[in-house]
This record gives sequence, structure tokens and C-alpha cells, in this order.
Amino acid sequence: MAGVSLSGIVKRYGGLQVVHGIDLDVAEQEFVVLVGPSGCGKSTTLRMIAGLEEISEGDLEIHGRRMNRIAPKDRDVAMVFQNYALYPHLNVADNMAFGLRIRRMPKDQIATTIADTAAILGLTDYLERRPADLSGGQRQRVAMGRAIVRHPKVFLFDEPLSNLDAKLRTQMRAEIKRLHNRLGVTSVYVTHDQVEAMTLADRIVVMNEGRIEQVGTPMELFNHPANTFVAGFLGSPPMNQMKAQLTETGARVGKADIKITGAINGNAGRDVIIGIRPEHVSLRPGDGTTPLPIALDLVEPLGSEALLHARFGADEMVFKAETQGDISHLHGVSEVHVPANLVKIFDAETGRALSLEP
Amino acid sequence: MVDRNTDVGGLPMEEMVAEAQEALRTDKKSYAPETSWTRAIDHLKREWQLYVMLAPTIIWFVVFLYKPMYGLQIAFKDYSIFRGVAGSPWVGLEHFEVLFGNDQFLRAVGNTIKISALNLLFGFPAPIILALMFNEILHATYKKTAQTIVYLPHFISSVIIAGIVITAFAPTGGIVNIILGWFGLDSIYFLTRPEWFRPIFVGTGIWQEAGFGSIVFLAAIAGVNPSLYESAVVDGANRWQMMWKITIPSILPTILIMLIIRIGNIMEVSFELVILLYQPATYETADVVNTWIYRQGLQSGQYDLAAAAGLFNAVVAFVLVMAANTLSRRYSRTSLW
Repeated sequence: MAGVSLSGIVKRYGGLQVVHGIDLDVAEQEFVVLVGPSGCGKSTTLRMIAGLEEISEGDLEIHGRRMNRIAPKDRDVAMVFQNYALYPHLNVADNMAFGLRIRRMPKDQIATTIADTAAILGLTDYLERRPADLSGGQRQRVAMGRAIVRHPKVFLFDEPLSNLDAKLRTQMRAEIKRLHNRLGVTSVYVTHDQVEAMTLADRIVVMNEGRIEQVGTPMELFNHPANTFVAGFLGSPPMNQMKAQLTETGARVGKADIKITGAINGNAGRDVIIGIRPEHVSLRPGDGTTPLPIALDLVEPLGSEALLHARFGADEMVFKAETQGDISHLHGVSEVHVPANLVKIFDAETGRALSLEP
Repeated sequence: MVDRNTDVGGLPMEEMVAEAQEALRTDKKSYAPETSWTRAIDHLKREWQLYVMLAPTIIWFVVFLYKPMYGLQIAFKDYSIFRGVAGSPWVGLEHFEVLFGNDQFLRAVGNTIKISALNLLFGFPAPIILALMFNEILHATYKKTAQTIVYLPHFISSVIIAGIVITAFAPTGGIVNIILGWFGLDSIYFLTRPEWFRPIFVGTGIWQEAGFGSIVFLAAIAGVNPSLYESAVVDGANRWQMMWKITIPSILPTILIMLIIRIGNIMEVSFELVILLYQPATYETADVVNTWIYRQGLQSGQYDLAAAAGLFNAVVAFVLVMAANTLSRRYSRTSLW
């Protein structure tokens, strides 16, 4: 039995359809991340699971029970909001106790639950403070605490880290991951940040324009993107994509022939898009690599590695290279090497990944 | 280092050369020292448009509120319009002694406090309750229509309002007495009965101003973060609980600010409406400080006594607003200043 199951979920606002038939099963105790650009329907989908938006079509089940017409309070879900949604007039303890008091939990039980949760989240010393007297990270913890005390069947996170600075976001990301490992509650997490998606998820759901583009583990999506959208969305910097034509020996991009693996068979002459991840490119030749002559435009040092912005024919490309503590040797780079087995091929028309027979 | 403001004319040549060489060697520029005066001038040059926009308000305050304060001194003088403010002799607190020995004035103070207390008790919560009720209306057209209907009386002149009230409570043909007649009750001439003046006055004030007053609270409600409600919905709160646990606490700072302002105006019972609705038969409950000042000052020509009464009014209001502000700041972190 799935923790959360969505079948043909559609959302319409009047005549405008924004979610076009989502099918997704989230297993019990699984951490699933919905990721996609702004307006892709990920938050709307999450809000439909929470019951904050009506479902126009399709079925939503939580732990095997159909939830379409069930009030949010009876769905046994807890939600963490983007702006924390803490009650400014209540202190931390009262914020965390809000849902429990509404449910008329006995006072001593509330006190115990709050104390236990505060200890888990490191909030014990802040229970008497109001949200205005807390830092961003502490407020985020209180918001999570308010969800945790309910002991729900499903946690819903709506971009909970987007208001934090980069350092705190990294720290809180790790805390959420640890918390999920400890509590093991089914979680659906929405973000537009692909790094959050990659680091947190058991499985990632990539959405675009109200549809699911691909579902899979982070590494499945990274290594085997189903289409050019997923290839371009996951990875930082994103996968380089170039128009090409399949030949008997590989893929022709401008005047260069790039080696690829797999049998071309009758596909020679087919228009494709080839994808090369920035980190898959090497500065030295190796087995099965194709040398690409490039015109280096810019070197961006990141510390242990650097980003090389270059032109290859008419295409702009970005590569990653190790700095080894110095970037002077990177300024003279005029050629990079692409391993054949890591070149991805997509259909030029549909953008879907092509799997050529080995 | 060469300082632009230093008068180097009197320095020995060696020192000047040495300073110039040092400046060249260190290649440092020197600037005139910043003072609060130069900073103020820079600030004015940068922000002059804001001061131009502020000017009309400041001029209005000076001309209509601060300049008249000069005339307040007649509360301590035996004022004569022929001798003028400056030429009238000082009489100390004589007018205040007369005031506090005057039964009619003391009655007016009592009436003012009683009417204000009733206004505060019933008139202050009315717009808050209205705003909360409007907030619960989900049908947009119905909501707008209802709001327009309750805002309308605010835009009607007090004279018309008083006319409507007088007509409605008239002993013959008044709607209230007609309704009483349906239940077999005798007709009452409400506006000549002292015991009815305060309920009618306070009720009229609520009818006229509650709707318009609700706009401030509606604006405050609109500013409440919607995700607080969504979070409460997921937590299982119903609309009633959301109103009590989210909406009211969230608009509490606005409520307190409005309460402080209201307390500051506690001695300012709606003068026009009282003048229009009261009559000698109801002075016992209807005569307030402002109407007493009007009768004494303008009708009887006792400007100095009226000024003393006005000053007393202002001092009481000042003390009340200070006290309310201090209490509010201490207990709710909300204050006017």
C-alpha cells in the first residue's frame, strides 16, 4: 500500500488547466521531492495532497483511503510552509502546541510532546520566545516542530528552505534528511532547487508545465535523463546540449565527429541533440574519447574546480575542470575530450532520450 | 598631510614643503572634516523633495493648531475682546475655580464621560465585529454590496442624520413608535426623555460610523499572512477558531492603536450631533463639555471661561492618551510612539 497515491490528478482554475493528470505513488516512509521551474504545478499538486486546493479530476489516496472529499484536518498530514506560517503572537511552545490544542490533546501530553520535539530540534532553550525573536533557521525548526508534534502519516514540505541563506540552507537540508531517517515518515517535498532535490530525495519527480517529465532516483535522473528538459534541469551547471546528426560512426556536430556508444543501424542521418555533462569532459585524451577543439571564453574558479566557458563551433558550452590549486594552466586550454559512453542522445523533435542498441 | 581647511599662509616654508612632500610620498587625498552641519546640508540637498511634500502639513499644523495655542492664555486672564489677548489682565486660576464650582459644568463633564464610556463599550467593538463578519463573507458581490450599505451613513451630513433620527423617533409617525404601536405599547417622545438620549446618541453614532470604521480593521485583516490560515486548516481549526486564534490576535496591534486614539478623543463627544439632537429637556443627560463651552463661550460671550473649560478638556485627553499609550507599550509591545 502506497503512502500517497495520485491517479490522474487534474487541477483547473475556471477554464485554465494547470495540472494535467498526475500519476504518482509515494511508498510508505519514502522521501519524494517534486522539483521543477516556477509555475510547473508542483506546489499546486502538494496543496491538493494537503487539501488546501480542490482536486478537479482524479483520485488521491493516503494510506489506501480516498481523500478527495476529506477535510485537510482529517487527512493526517502536516505541512511545513515556505514562509514558516508561525503565529507571531504565540511563543515557540504555543506555536508547536497549536494543532494539538485544536485536537484537544490532554495538557500534560502536549507538554511532553513539545518537550521531546524541542529536544530533537534543539529548541528547548527557545520555547518561550516569539517568532520575531528567532533567527531564520530557528523559525524553520519551529515550523518543522509544529509538523512533527502531530505525528502525521505524511509530511508535506512546500519550499521550506527557500527563505534561508545559502549556508543555513545547506545545514537545514542535512537536518531534514537526518530527521527523516530518524522518524521515517512518508514525505513529499516541493522545491525548485535541484541541489535540494538531489541531496534529499529517495526519488525525484521532475515536473514541467503541469506534467511529470520523469520519476526516478537522483542518480537515475542524473545519469539517464528521459528528455532534454530533465537533462537541462538537473545538474549544475546543466548538461550541454547541441544539435547534431547521426552518422555511421557517431554524431556530427558542425565539422566534428563525436564518438558515441551503441549501434547506429538505420538511424544514420537522423537529427538529434547530443548532451554532454560539464563534469564528464576531460582535459586529457582517454580510451574512446573524442577531442573537441574549443575557443575558451572565460574561466570561473570555484576552488577545487573551475568552470570553463567556451565556444564549440556555434554552440556555447560549459565544462568543469580540476584546478589543483591553480587555474593558470586552464587559460591555455584549446581542446577537451568527451568520452563516448557518457554522451547522451536525444531525439531532435521530441527531445526524448534515444537508446541505441549496444 | 595637507588639510584643505588649514590656513597654510602663516606656516614656515620648510613646514609647507615638508607637508607637501609627505602628501606626495603617501599619495593620500585629504578631505574637509564632516560635521553634523555639512551632513544636514547634504541630506537636504538629497531629500529636498520629501521636505517640500511635508511642508503643507507642517504649515497646516502651525497655522491651525499651534498658533491658536497662543490664545489659550485667556484661560488665565480676564479677557476682553476690546483689550485683546495681550492686554487683558491675568487672573490666575480664577476661571478654573468658577468652573469646578459650576454644577452645570460638572454635570457636562459627567455626561461626557458617561457618553464616551458607552461609546467605547459599544461603539469601539462595533467596527471590529463588522470587519470580522465581512471577512467571513465568501461571496464577493454580496460582500461588496453589504460593505457599501454600511459605509453609506458615514457620507451623510450630521444634519441629515439628526433629521432621520428625529423623524424615526418622532412621537407620531415615527417608525419606532409605529413598531411600538404594533405591540400595543404607548407612544414615547424619545428625544424629550433624558433617559433615552444616551442610547439614541450612541446607537446613532454606531450606525453612522461603524461601517466606515471597519475599513481600518479590514485592511489589517487583509494584511494577515494567508498561510497562517492554511496552516491552521491543516492543523484542524474551524473558522470560529481561526477568527479567535489567528485573526483577532493578528489585528490586535491595530485594535490597540485605534483604542489609544479613541481614548485621546474621549472628551470630544460628537459635538454636532449632540447640538442637533439635544434640547433643554434632555440637558440633564445630553449636555457635554463641548456644548457647554459653546453655550458659555459663543452664546454668552464668556470666552475666558470657555477657554479654561477647553484647556481642561485637552489636559484630560492628554493624560488619558499618555496613560493608554504607556500601558499598551508595556503590556502588548504596541504603541503610538
